Amino acid sequence: MTLYGYAGTILRLDLTARRAIEVETARYRSWGGGHGLGSALFWDFCKDKTITDGRDPANVCIVATSPLNATPTPSAGGRCEVMGVGVGMHPVSWFTRSGFGGRFSTMLKHAGFDAIVIEGRASSPVWVDIRNRKVEFHDASDLWGTDTWTAQKKIWERVGAPRDVRSGWWDFNATAEQALDPETDQGRTTQRPAVLTIGPAGENRTAAGCLIHDAGNGAGQGGFGAVWGSKNLKAISVIGTGEIPVADPMALLRARQVTKDKYVTDIRQPDFASWSHVGGLPNPLFMNPPPTDERRPQACQGCINGCRARFAVGYGNESTCQETAWYLPAVRRVATSVQELSEINLRAADVVQRYGHNSFLFQTGLHWLEHLHEEGVLGPGKAIPSQLPWEKYGTLEFAEKLIHALSHREDIGADLADGWVQAAIKWGREEDLHNGNMQFSYWGMPEHGYDPRAELEWGYGSILGDRDINEHCFNIIFTHVTAAFAFAKPMRIQAQQLVELIAEKLSPYAVNRPEVLDFSDGNMYSEAVAQLTRWHRHYTRFYKQSALFCDLKWPDFYNTNVPDFRGATASDDAGEQVFWNAVTGDSLSFEDGIELGRRIWNLDNAIWTLQGRHRDMVVYAPYVYETRYTKGELFPFFMWPCRDDKGEWQYRDVMGRSIDRGGFEDFKTIFYRLEGWDVDSGWPTRATLEGLDLAEVADTLEAVGRLGKEASR
Amino acid sequence: MSRTIEPEGMTRRKFLTTTAATGCAVAVGSGVLLADGRFVIPNSEGFLVVDMKKCQACGTCMMACALAHTGVSSYSLSRIQVLQDSFVDWPDDVVLAQCRQCQNAPCVEVCPTGANHVDREHGNVRRVDRELCIGCKMCIQSCPFTPARLQWDTGRRKSQKCDLCVDTPYLDEKGGPDGVQACVRVCPVNAIAFTRDMPAQTRDPASYSANLRDWVWKRLGMTTE
Repeated sequence: MTLYGYAGTILRLDLTARRAIEVETARYRSWGGGHGLGSALFWDFCKDKTITDGRDPANVCIVATSPLNATPTPSAGGRCEVMGVGVGMHPVSWFTRSGFGGRFSTMLKHAGFDAIVIEGRASSPVWVDIRNRKVEFHDASDLWGTDTWTAQKKIWERVGAPRDVRSGWWDFNATAEQALDPETDQGRTTQRPAVLTIGPAGENRTAAGCLIHDAGNGAGQGGFGAVWGSKNLKAISVIGTGEIPVADPMALLRARQVTKDKYVTDIRQPDFASWSHVGGLPNPLFMNPPPTDERRPQACQGCINGCRARFAVGYGNESTCQETAWYLPAVRRVATSVQELSEINLRAADVVQRYGHNSFLFQTGLHWLEHLHEEGVLGPGKAIPSQLPWEKYGTLEFAEKLIHALSHREDIGADLADGWVQAAIKWGREEDLHNGNMQFSYWGMPEHGYDPRAELEWGYGSILGDRDINEHCFNIIFTHVTAAFAFAKPMRIQAQQLVELIAEKLSPYAVNRPEVLDFSDGNMYSEAVAQLTRWHRHYTRFYKQSALFCDLKWPDFYNTNVPDFRGATASDDAGEQVFWNAVTGDSLSFEDGIELGRRIWNLDNAIWTLQGRHRDMVVYAPYVYETRYTKGELFPFFMWPCRDDKGEWQYRDVMGRSIDRGGFEDFKTIFYRLEGWDVDSGWPTRATLEGLDLAEVADTLEAVGRLGKEASR
Repeated sequence: MSRTIEPEGMTRRKFLTTTAATGCAVAVGSGVLLADGRFVIPNSEGFLVVDMKKCQACGTCMMACALAHTGVSSYSLSRIQVLQDSFVDWPDDVVLAQCRQCQNAPCVEVCPTGANHVDREHGNVRRVDRELCIGCKMCIQSCPFTPARLQWDTGRRKSQKCDLCVDTPYLDEKGGPDGVQACVRVCPVNAIAFTRDMPAQTRDPASYSANLRDWVWKRLGMTTE
């Protein structure tokens, strides 16, 4: 039977034996793809699910595609999901995830595989060459120590890729005879291999180790670079000439066209200030001005409006968002012009890309280090000894030395390599987790700029899950509304209409219940917000992390490019499920996708339970309870739709508050009950798991005494 | 449409050259061989031009092209190719390679079976009739551009090329010179355009490049130069 949307095969890489094993994708078809597929593979192939450090040889790392990859589904064609036990979180490194864009997932499918399961540990550094289902392990001794860009270019040479973009077709056949035989003809391509690699940060097994692909696609959170480093895996290269069957190509192309014509602002006569997720214009997502107008927008495969850029100036290519701003506050102190500000920032972005270092840790971490230095605690001869040239803080030289030290476990990097909160405890700075000097909100990871005391669904989703969620589904409200207030832009949609438009899409738990979006003080710990949090967890687990719709473009709840402002999400003409069905031939309703997300979320919770999770561990960093949120990263206020005393909707500032411990405990109880989990432990129950066709998972939990108690009736 | 299949071992040019040696112009298949040896075919009534400085390299045109024509997702089967190098700076990081619907069309000229022909019913587009293609790859080898603007369909053992979407069974709009082209339709930034004006017939890649960047591009902070 044709598996529409799939390559049809999953690749297991046994690094210990340097052996490739194929598994039929059909066995895992019910999990969809991406995260669902990866969680199921982890469940089956990770034999010790009690491990809590991703560098353990028992860890299994999965790189998974979606049926929508390699198709023109808008902003879903090029994402890729990475899973496994993470590194450097606190108090436990959970089974977690990351994602990246670019060309890798597309090319992996054209090479014949839907996912890669990385197991064991090689005895010495290796890289893996995958070409049309042919898999070869190669010695990577001489690649070890190279930065991510150098490694990729060297691998291109070794694979035999064309010298440059003007070299033409690349025939995979070794001989004319091979090309002439239909049974052996490997075909040809103009494309370059897609390489996913680690840099020094990963090789040295630091928690900041990323996976990097091309110049600026990175799987940052989770420390998967360290996972690969611990497995002696430098890189995986994929290239292929294969075909992916699509169930209804005409419907797929039609829905893509509807997206462009109806939901995306017309690029010939655009609305530059439209409010939409999928419907914007191609533009780099920078926190500071691009250095030059000599550039192009650059996009992941299938994206409908690229968010990155390639420049003529020779730096900053493909970096976007956080990595273009990790050093920004420091650079502002020394830059003497906008041009200099931009250049140092983007060159600093290049540095983290090349070292394969997760700049997100600097989101609030750099400020904390600076604070320690200013306090006289960190520096030469200080309590926390450091020879870094702090007097050059803000210069490119300092950035390079800092990243080098942290990537090589040198200087303060020796302590930070295994986790920042762990380092704080070692340095005797636990007080900073109470007073807010160190804003690492959940699981030892930094606050994202959307403080859990203000943006509730972001915080709840993160602490009830495994990491900073980095899901901008509802965060787009903050972006649009707060920016409108800050820059006196038109308020395109008023609060009541906005929440009603969104609530229309929140089927099944919160459909037409706009109160779930009310983040006012009196509603913070309510059943309504718990329902929103559930919907968010389930939506993202399937649509965003399994179907792999891009976080920056989906969901599209509201859209001013459409006369009635109703966005593309869940729509009959270009909703997420329309694309899924066109590609796979399924008859998935939008709600079916939410339900599949619930199934995946429950399997994840079962894995966390086996790792040792208990409700009592599900708590924010102390400062979230003990201090008020008074200083925004981007703006001095945080605007959100709220109801006033009369029940009328307004955009209001939700800064200035903290999370109440008791209130949050009550919220957890509500959330666990709604999820069908044991409210005392947070563990899944048999009834819930069996209702999701996960009886085997319930058996496993029960066998180790970690199955949740059923709720009393 | 009836075509003459030449005797094995004789290319169409050889056949025509031999015939034309009588001193007459000879009309065969898609073209006319003049007495001076030149092979003349009617000009295409449509062309694709691209803006390589504007392309966002998302590959959507490639995916849409393969889907519209063959119903599968495949880069290798796309009639337009987007080549990119992440480690090269703008504007040399991206090359778009589309069929030029050449005036002299060497691919048509060398085809031994007439499979690669001028479609007079659809604006003289140069097309490959897959039923007649014998998979000799001569058309691919004859293309003077790099990469060759014809593709080898490994599974079906045929050549293929851009037909301006004349034969697109999976596109629910009319394709061809009088219709739409999938790559033009889906391009998010309008970096591909259809024109009826024949670009200069030189080997210079720039002759099929157009500046499609307008005031919107300028306002987005990107050069229109």
